Amino acid sequence: METILLFAPLVGAILCGFGWRVLGEQAAQATATGLLFLSCLLSWIVFLSFDGELRVIDLFTWIASGSLDTSWQIRIDRLTAVMLIVITTVSALVHLYSFGYMAHDDNFREGESYRPRFFAYLSFFTFAMLMLVTADNLLQLFFGWEGVGVASYLLIGFYYRKPSAGAAAMKAFIVNRVGDFGFLLGIFAMFWMLDSINFDVILAAGPELADMTFPFLGWEVNAANAIGVMLFIGAMGKSAQLFLHTWLPDAMEGPTPVSALIHAATMVTAGVFLVCRMSPILEYAPFAGNMVIIIGAATAFFAATVGLVQNDIKRVIAYSTCSQLGYMFVAAGVGVYSVAMFHLFTHAFFKAMLFLGAGSVIHAMHHEQDMRNYGGLRKKIPLTFWAMMIGTLAITGVGIPLTHIGFAGFLSKDAVIESAFAFGGGLGAYAFWALVIAAMFTSFYSWRLMFLTFYGEPRGSKHTHEHAHESPWTMLAPLGVLALGAAFSGMIWYNSFFGHTDQVARFFGVEYAEAGEHSEEAAGEETAAAGESHGEETAVAEDSHGEDAAAAGEGEHAAGEAGHGEGHYVFTSPPGEGAIHAGPDNDVMNAAHEVPSWVKVAPFLAMLAGFIVSFLFYIVNPALPKAWAEAFRPGYQFLLNKWYFDEIYDAIFVRPARAIGRFFWKQGDGAVIDGGINGLALGIVPFFTKQLVRLQSGYIFTYAFMMVIGIVVLVTWFALRG
Amino acid sequence: MDVLLSEYAPILIFLALAIGLGLVLILAAVVIAVRNPDPEKVSAYECGFNAFDDARMKFDVRFYLVSILFIIFDLEVAFLFPWAVAFPEGSMVAFWSMMIFLGVLTVGFAYEWKKGALEWE
Amino acid sequence: MISTDLSIIAPEILLAVFAMAGLVGAVYSGRDALSQLLTWAAALLFVAAALYIGLTGEGTHTAFGGIFVDDAFSRFAKVAVLLSAAAVLIISQDYLSRSDLLRFEYPILVTLAVIGMMVMVSAGDLMTLYMGLELQSLALYVVAALRRDNARSTEAGLKYFVLGALSSGLLLYGASLTYGYAGTTEFAGIIEAAGADASIGLIFGLVFLCAGFAFKVSAAPFHMWTPDVYEGSPTPVTALFATAPKVAAMALFARVVHDAFGGVVGDWQQILAFLAVVSMFLGAIAAIGQRDIKRLMAYSSISHMGYALMGLSAGTAQGVESMLVYMAIYVVMNIGTFAFILSMSRDGRHVTEIDALNGFATKEPLKALAILCLMFSLAGVPPLLGFFGKYAVLLAAVDAGLGWLAVAGVVASVIGAFYYLRIVYYMYFGEETEGLDGRMTTLPWLGLVASAVIMLVGIVNLFGIEGLAEAAAATLVR
Repeated sequence: METILLFAPLVGAILCGFGWRVLGEQAAQATATGLLFLSCLLSWIVFLSFDGELRVIDLFTWIASGSLDTSWQIRIDRLTAVMLIVITTVSALVHLYSFGYMAHDDNFREGESYRPRFFAYLSFFTFAMLMLVTADNLLQLFFGWEGVGVASYLLIGFYYRKPSAGAAAMKAFIVNRVGDFGFLLGIFAMFWMLDSINFDVILAAGPELADMTFPFLGWEVNAANAIGVMLFIGAMGKSAQLFLHTWLPDAMEGPTPVSALIHAATMVTAGVFLVCRMSPILEYAPFAGNMVIIIGAATAFFAATVGLVQNDIKRVIAYSTCSQLGYMFVAAGVGVYSVAMFHLFTHAFFKAMLFLGAGSVIHAMHHEQDMRNYGGLRKKIPLTFWAMMIGTLAITGVGIPLTHIGFAGFLSKDAVIESAFAFGGGLGAYAFWALVIAAMFTSFYSWRLMFLTFYGEPRGSKHTHEHAHESPWTMLAPLGVLALGAAFSGMIWYNSFFGHTDQVARFFGVEYAEAGEHSEEAAGEETAAAGESHGEETAVAEDSHGEDAAAAGEGEHAAGEAGHGEGHYVFTSPPGEGAIHAGPDNDVMNAAHEVPSWVKVAPFLAMLAGFIVSFLFYIVNPALPKAWAEAFRPGYQFLLNKWYFDEIYDAIFVRPARAIGRFFWKQGDGAVIDGGINGLALGIVPFFTKQLVRLQSGYIFTYAFMMVIGIVVLVTWFALRG
Repeated sequence: MDVLLSEYAPILIFLALAIGLGLVLILAAVVIAVRNPDPEKVSAYECGFNAFDDARMKFDVRFYLVSILFIIFDLEVAFLFPWAVAFPEGSMVAFWSMMIFLGVLTVGFAYEWKKGALEWE
Repeated sequence: MISTDLSIIAPEILLAVFAMAGLVGAVYSGRDALSQLLTWAAALLFVAAALYIGLTGEGTHTAFGGIFVDDAFSRFAKVAVLLSAAAVLIISQDYLSRSDLLRFEYPILVTLAVIGMMVMVSAGDLMTLYMGLELQSLALYVVAALRRDNARSTEAGLKYFVLGALSSGLLLYGASLTYGYAGTTEFAGIIEAAGADASIGLIFGLVFLCAGFAFKVSAAPFHMWTPDVYEGSPTPVTALFATAPKVAAMALFARVVHDAFGGVVGDWQQILAFLAVVSMFLGAIAAIGQRDIKRLMAYSSISHMGYALMGLSAGTAQGVESMLVYMAIYVVMNIGTFAFILSMSRDGRHVTEIDALNGFATKEPLKALAILCLMFSLAGVPPLLGFFGKYAVLLAAVDAGLGWLAVAGVVASVIGAFYYLRIVYYMYFGEETEGLDGRMTTLPWLGLVASAVIMLVGIVNLFGIEGLAEAAAATLVR
């Protein structure tokens, strides 16, 4: 079943990409889509029937060379299962959506066949992504990693007649190379240290790595930290974290379904997946973990600020994606990998939906992407409006505070923020505040998007607005499905990802035990109470332990020692067993449930603040934004230009690289190598030719003289040599 | 030093002898020779060369041809002498070897005769 | 006893008898009526002798007390010599009769030269060596001047003769030095006397011998005669010079350095490496300045001899094998090329300027394609056969620790590629001027196409020639 699941998209890609001339365009697309739905169905079966036990299916040996021994394998554990449904579901829906969205495209000439190519790329991407998540060794993971990179490159540059699309594709690929280089070094270091890149070996070796060092530039570097950092650099590239994020907004040059599938729901989360997969190593690499928190929080904050002022509808969502990825990394960094996966999971639904909704808007508005030219579309495209509304509610985190009722984003985002707070220390506080402020900004720009698009007066071309039309069912149906996910996925799987430790442990197939000196009865109580009643229990616990927990939050994650009334469990699996790993002293998840109420409410308040400001700016007084932009011109420009990252990179990397390249091209290759060869070929050789031809005088005595010289040279040589 | 020089002494002597002998011979011809020219002596040879002329001159290629052909048979005789001297001890192989050699020469001779190489005109 | 000796040299005797009989018969039957017949007869006799030697010969025999050796090596060389001489006779016959050069002396002289070559490669003694060499050389001096009424042809013959005499002098001087220091002229005795560390006198003898051989194979700096003689001689004679004598001289070279001086490989390796480097570069560089295709082929053959010497200079069985393979390929390429050159004419006049090839491809696509194959092969462009020849000698040199020599060979081949490619360029991209209008008769055409096809097809297994060359090399290098 898993094999079929994995290879169905590949078969679809091949059939569609190469066989469409035989099959016909429609049939080819239908084949690819159908196979993807099959894959999706199987994924759900795998996910729902999964019992937490690790399964590895051997396909065949890939490389067996020396001590390097890797196979193509399918590894099924909870992480993989979650990723499987995310990938195949979104991918299947995007395939369906593309039927409508890609039906007509002005970027291609009349009669040109581009749709099968598009579907083939999509299916190929899906295959590569599945390869990535089912890998049982780093090499296969890297294969998938590069495969999705290639697919992303191809799809960003899909409109190959647009120079900007080509440039964006190259930018994505090149920026990713930087990250990939770090990832590769990580793999190399892993192989160097452990002589294996298979997960069963390396995941179990976290504690060993923590004790190992290797020399680098005269330092003794801790192996676990170094590998963790290098792997995270790889993740930064793929997941567009700060400093390597610049490609993601530009990647919006690709068709919108691509943005939804690759640059929102799946590929960009590969970095988060990698970090979670490597949790047994990251647990023993505190430095790398802290780096993940710092970068993640900074990205969340940075991207949210930039999102505030963008005018292109897709760019707003792109920065939003970037920001949300930061949330996920923070969760992973503080050691609550399940929450990272939780946010990844919910985010996939609502972000894919936002993108597809945006695509629907763009489709309705004849490929107009500037929000300033929208307005008042609520009546024109009501279904899209409601879908977008659900997405916005989800991303901004609307729900009932202090309960577990709310849209998907409410639950997962709050879980991240609480975990960050519970991590404690300066780093925890930093992450917490960065994320809360980012949440406020998120709310602002999301509502801004809604208001600018659907409310107010039409601002753009009258003609376009009048002809705005609702999208066909192929585009609306995916929106509907994703809307369900955006609304309910958080509530349904809350306990599995962020319930009590034992629930999470069971979900992820990890052994667990009571933490520290818990009393027997408390444990029993908790075990009994585990289940649906859990939510209220936590709420109660919060009430009664508010003060203590606040203290705990400020200080260390001392929840275990504090000895709360209810049972605290910790993961006890040795590293390498179970889908995720957390050390026995990692108590952040427990602590996260016991943070003070104000912490729990904070994101909600931030959301409200963002909403109110946005409402004021764009509904009550639409003149305000302009006035503010004028008033804070430098700040506005700073944000509008994305903190000048592109310009700085251009100055620091791009220009020097081009200058060096030009130098080597003109001076090195042109002057030295070409010049040298040309000089030899056009100067020196003809010179000798002339001399030799002149030597051939036609006189016998010259010839005889030459022979004598030859003899003399040889005789002299042997005479001198003795 | 002296040893080295003395090693070269034979060369020096040789050189002196060579120069001396050369001079003696040339001068002797000048001094001793009887000069008694008569018309027959100073007139051109039968081959058309002047008796006293520059040595570097054109001459008829036929002279060359005849002399070449002469040399071949001259050398043949040079071969025959030792063979004839050793003939009593020679085997049949030796005999037939010489016969074949002479036969090959004869073939060449027949060719040049037929070709007209021996005719002056 | 004597009958066994005679049976060993039966092919040579047969050819000699043929030459005598032909000479007398033709001269007495009058005029040149028999020349056509004699040419064919000679060619057929060569082929028959080659078949006889190639098919029946086995093992190693010596005749006349060791001065004549019949072994796999000499047989390989003899077959190559005979077949290439036969091929040259066949392709050139048409040209000769067209330009009124087909005298009956020509096939006779070629036969005598071939006998000389056969004796050379079988030599087991310096005497035999010299006899064979001179028989060959004298016959070739004469054929170089075959066009008696042409100044260039006689000039070529004379130059060849004078310089050849000089080289013979060097060779003889070397032989006498060798005899003086070794006390014998037999190779078997010389190798014993030389031992593993030859005296300086013997080394000098070796140097002079090598100089003499280098003249015969036209290796620089003893190559000076080559361009002039190639250009001045009638084209069929040039074709002959470029093929059979080269094989014979190369084989003789190999025989002497291994059979007589096999103990002092280190010494002659230096000589050969020097000759090889100078030849490769000189051939490649000087050819660039040539406008006449015959002169160009002269430099080409100088360069090719450099490569063959490189193989020989390895001093190993592998080296000899690679040299033999290289020579075999070289001969085939040259026969094809000269088959074409023979047909180059405009308004009934033979032309040899390279410019005349401009735009040839549009007129004669098939022939141009064949030339292209041959030129690429001569330049050593893979996957043609010429590449494998070069590869073999380079490999032999590298394996023998002469990496620098191999590198030099590669550089020289890059330089040399220029003039081969220029011919191709002229044919395919040159501006069409008044080009060639001569028609090619069947036999030269066959020669051209066959050798081009061999260049292409031979890469499969080189027609098994490697195995033969290996066996030949094994008998020489013990």
